[in-house]
Amino acid sequence: MDAPRVVLGVIGADCHSVGNKILDAFFSEAGFHVVNLGVMVSQDEFLDAAVESDAGAILVSSLYGHGLIDCEGLRQKAVERGLDRILLYAGGNLVVGKTAFEEVERKFKAMGFDRVFPPQVDLAAVAELLRKDLRSRKN
Amino acid sequence: MTSNRLDWKDFLAQRRAVLDAWPTGRDVADIEDGLRYQRTIPEDKNFAKVMSRAKASGRTLIQPRAGVALIDDHIRLLRYLETEGTADLLPTTIDAYTRQNRYEEAARGIEKSMTAGTSLLNGFPAVNHGRDGCRKVTEAVRKPVQVRHGTPDARLLAEISLAGGFTSYEGGGISYNIPYAKKVEIGECLRNWQYVDRLAGYYEENGLAVNREPFGPLTGTLVPPFISHTIAILEGLLALEQGVKSLTLGYGQGGNVLQDLAALASLRELADAYFREAGFEDYDLTLVFHQWMGGFPEDEAQAFSVIATGAFVAAAARVEKTIVKSPHEAMGIPTKEANAAGLKATRQVLSMMADQRICADNAVIEREKDLIRREVGALMSAVRTASGDDLVQGIVRAFAGGLLDVPFAPSVFNRGKVLPVRDNEGYIRLFAKGSLPLGDDITSFHKERLQERSKAEGRPVTFQMVTDDIYAISKGKLIGRPK
Repeated sequence: MDAPRVVLGVIGADCHSVGNKILDAFFSEAGFHVVNLGVMVSQDEFLDAAVESDAGAILVSSLYGHGLIDCEGLRQKAVERGLDRILLYAGGNLVVGKTAFEEVERKFKAMGFDRVFPPQVDLAAVAELLRKDLRSRKN
Repeated sequence: MTSNRLDWKDFLAQRRAVLDAWPTGRDVADIEDGLRYQRTIPEDKNFAKVMSRAKASGRTLIQPRAGVALIDDHIRLLRYLETEGTADLLPTTIDAYTRQNRYEEAARGIEKSMTAGTSLLNGFPAVNHGRDGCRKVTEAVRKPVQVRHGTPDARLLAEISLAGGFTSYEGGGISYNIPYAKKVEIGECLRNWQYVDRLAGYYEENGLAVNREPFGPLTGTLVPPFISHTIAILEGLLALEQGVKSLTLGYGQGGNVLQDLAALASLRELADAYFREAGFEDYDLTLVFHQWMGGFPEDEAQAFSVIATGAFVAAAARVEKTIVKSPHEAMGIPTKEANAAGLKATRQVLSMMADQRICADNAVIEREKDLIRREVGALMSAVRTASGDDLVQGIVRAFAGGLLDVPFAPSVFNRGKVLPVRDNEGYIRLFAKGSLPLGDDITSFHKERLQERSKAEGRPVTFQMVTDDIYAISKGKLIGRPK
């Protein structure tokens, strides 16, 4: 079976590159085919890459606080591009300032994200969820 | 080893296009207006003068990072940090859209912040607020204010903020590109920063001191001292060439106390040596130490301890300034209360240390200083060979050939082949040296030190060990040992 394909990147004008390199290494090691777009990725670049690579999920990172502004409308655009079933994950320091994670999660889910993660998440658990979600999307 | 000073006619020709990039550029078209305004700023609000005084008196000044979208909120924030936080120096951290010259998005961020009643930008959009908005901010506080950002093309921001009463400007053509941008060509960025330095130099020629501070910590992630030192010295040389006089070079806390003390002592010595060798004498060099720039523990009590160890090193090394973190660092941008708490925690350590002398004769510090001196020497000599008489071209070639290489940087013009890792005592060493032009004596020392750790942990040095080190401090340790 082919390795499941995922698109990875840091959205907007965010140049936090360290975690991105680690996520790339981790998910590749965990058996995913990672299309890593690196830092400062626009919504369109995420979607272009997802279409080109026929990816099952887009993993969006945001560390600098502009996550809400940058992620708004990504789900609608994905639907417009015919990516009706694509999984959208978001993780990082998604908003400006210390905010209860439940609040952040609620806002991102309302924007159409399937799963939302705080910065200290266990990556092995994320990989497990991702595999499960990808399987259930296929059926 | 010099790059030519930017010709004034060329500067003025460039200036027109720079100011046309956004409507607020028009307000600073008369360059003399900025000079006239800066003359009204009292000495104790001039960043360069205050840094110089700290050097003379042996004091370490404290400065936070802070910036929000709206002018009145930003003023309230800075006032709180200077009163409640006892900050000696104030910042104005610029938002990420402005850093990428995306002024329309910054404008949307300002509007959305007004509607939301809270800042949705991660800093102060100084270009959008323009000269008068900046003057409102710098006039509203008692302490000198510095622009802190991460902008590869910072020409318009420099024009507006210097005319707006800021007396210090952070950044440089390498340190605000390689860690902060993805596709900005190095030569182009260096030339844009020559413009900024030339502007600062013009203020100096007219008797107005403007402090310039290359960004020392780079990616803030296990950067070995010699890499950041070499880049700081190169940016210092480029700034001096354009007429900058007040120069603050920086280094970010690595975590091993003796390595950090050696790094700070050697940064001052090496910078002086290279500047004098290049023929510069009329400059005022000061140092800034950045408290831990990597990932922080979420727990606020643990975060305070990270802050306190940084404050200790700043005091022991007698640097002129330290940039302070907050207990909210793991969560992103701090509240004003958390920011002030970081300042007060730092102040307590600095005050307790003020009369103590820590860093006397220490053989280990001397060993590390000697190592850094040889490492910086190797890189500087390679850049010099690549330069001919054009330092800008030399730096471009050095990055292309991997003679300069910054770990974990996002720029595609950086090779990214260098991997650092901690040794068995927590010193930052090289696991992969990429194409850095280091001699065998140096690389074998790094290798031996890493073998010790490998043996102690019963595992080979791999990328996993590097990852473990990156997250170690946020998980309560210095070295990322296996469980």
